Amino acid sequence: MSENPYRPHLMRIVDAIEETGDVRTLRLKFLEPEIASQLHWQAGQFGQFSIFGSGESVFTIANAPSRGGYIECTFRQMGKVTSGLRNLSVGQVVGFRGPYGNHFPIEEWRGRDLLFVGGGIGMAALHAPLQFALDHRDEFGEIVVLNGARAVADMVYKEEMKEWERATGVRVVRTVDPGGETPDWNGEVGLIPDVFERLRPEPDGRIVITCGPPVMLRFMLMALEKLSFKSEQVITTLENKMKCGIGQCGRCNVGRYLLCRQGPVFTWAQLKELPSDY
Amino acid sequence: MEREGWRLSDKEWREWVEALLRAGKLVIAPVKENDLLLFRHVLMADEISVSDQGKAQWSPKEFLFPRSEPLLIYRLRGAEVDLEEPKADEREQVLVGLRPCDAAGLSRLDDIFLLEEQDPSYAQRKKHTTIVSLACDRAEPECFCTAVGGSPAGTQGSDLLLLPLDDGWILRVLTPKGKELVAGWAARWRPALAEDWDRTEERRSAVENSIQLSPLSAQWGTALEKSFGHPLWESLGQRCLGCGICAYVCPSCSCFDINDEGNSFCGTRCRSWDSCAFARFTLHASGHNPRPTQPSRYRQRVLHKFAYFPDQHEGRFMCVGCGRCLRLCPVGIDIHHTVERAASAASPEEERP
Repeated sequence: MSENPYRPHLMRIVDAIEETGDVRTLRLKFLEPEIASQLHWQAGQFGQFSIFGSGESVFTIANAPSRGGYIECTFRQMGKVTSGLRNLSVGQVVGFRGPYGNHFPIEEWRGRDLLFVGGGIGMAALHAPLQFALDHRDEFGEIVVLNGARAVADMVYKEEMKEWERATGVRVVRTVDPGGETPDWNGEVGLIPDVFERLRPEPDGRIVITCGPPVMLRFMLMALEKLSFKSEQVITTLENKMKCGIGQCGRCNVGRYLLCRQGPVFTWAQLKELPSDY
Repeated sequence: MEREGWRLSDKEWREWVEALLRAGKLVIAPVKENDLLLFRHVLMADEISVSDQGKAQWSPKEFLFPRSEPLLIYRLRGAEVDLEEPKADEREQVLVGLRPCDAAGLSRLDDIFLLEEQDPSYAQRKKHTTIVSLACDRAEPECFCTAVGGSPAGTQGSDLLLLPLDDGWILRVLTPKGKELVAGWAARWRPALAEDWDRTEERRSAVENSIQLSPLSAQWGTALEKSFGHPLWESLGQRCLGCGICAYVCPSCSCFDINDEGNSFCGTRCRSWDSCAFARFTLHASGHNPRPTQPSRYRQRVLHKFAYFPDQHEGRFMCVGCGRCLRLCPVGIDIHHTVERAASAASPEEERP
């Protein structure tokens, strides 16, 4: 094994799922099978994904460790690297280094009701803990998933949501922003924080796991406050720009934290202590 | 403290450097080029410019942490990818004539690149580098090392230290690595006498006393953090042009970028210096920028150096008081002044610095 922390493991794309017009989920397998058995991660950790010639990009590891042997990432085509990644097809090789960062404290959630609130591509960050909870269904109470998108066509994990709903005690609520609905849309219409409020979730014994664009997060926190959730019950993951992943490049510094080491997962209580540099 | 050192003439220490060159070591030292003092690879000891020349234009950090360096070489063969790591440079290098602030700056790079996770190329270079610093004879107008825990004769980060006397030098040994570099020479050199050491002490305090700026306290970290939302930051940072020169000339700034140079067939993954002054430093692909304005980026620079970094590193500032950022800033932004203003704006009257 190389000592160079920047040398990625090579992985082959074995499957590609078109989530939306610009969002894709890739399943990757290690070229060296022994790495697959050595690599351990926890839900919430992330990796640096290499597209040779385009560069590296940070994505959360989208599959739960309980579905090991491969790595999944869900990405939206946005910049140089994600466009490079979008151009690759099944059979081609990318790089992966990681896992990096802290993880969701799932051990502390046992016996609680879980409410996942994801906005747009933010849902990708909730995928691993949700998958973990579904794979350990009897260890958790009620599971509610609120998946929101700007428009129907932008809704990620459309197919998987059907699978989630089939599990016992799981409710999936889909919502699109006003104006984003289609004539045959039978989900909710409304901004995620508003729909969340309409659900009137009881704070007692519940953990809210949320991720989405900064503006959604801001209004979500206001809604949570209104519904009397305590800041310790709410957890999110920050998506600052990162380059090294090992606490050296300085890019993800927010207050006393380097998000790649002490983050990216934070409770709302911790967020309140952070300067608003995220 | 046990002091070990030799009393040398100018000729004697240059002979020793000549011998290092002959032994195949790379010697990097300040050289006068036109009007600028610059760190250069020298071929002869006589090229080295010392005594009352002030500090070099740039810090010598690039000899351990290059402006740009390859991390990885990639080649694509159809769907397959070959990766190769660049060969490490294993030649011994000796950095001569660093001012104590610059040597202290290198020890901050150690904090970043060696403490938690070892950066292989930095670690490799550091292993093959010996540092011979040069105590200051005078303070320049921008100097404030004493305000951030340094000294004109500071030893942090150095293996050997040259201390000026009226008619020669003391070469002080600070580390085993430094001792190794003078091995074999001790027999022909005269040990420095107590009065020589006394003279250097007098010089040190004279230079120290000529620096008027008041010491900054690590305890201010909390006050600085409290100042985060203070409107003062708008005026402190509004002149900043975002040119990034402060980070490039800073001996301790170490933030970097990683990019692929090449195409989708072959190329190099490169690491290059970066600066928190640039808008793109934190810009997300989505268009969201956590630090959207120049004052918010300037505030990050100051808080990182004087609040966040000290919190993680036993109170050490990520600033060594060389003052290059002030000297070369096109609009004359003064970081020492900023820290004082921000910390006092955020503290109650009685705790003001």
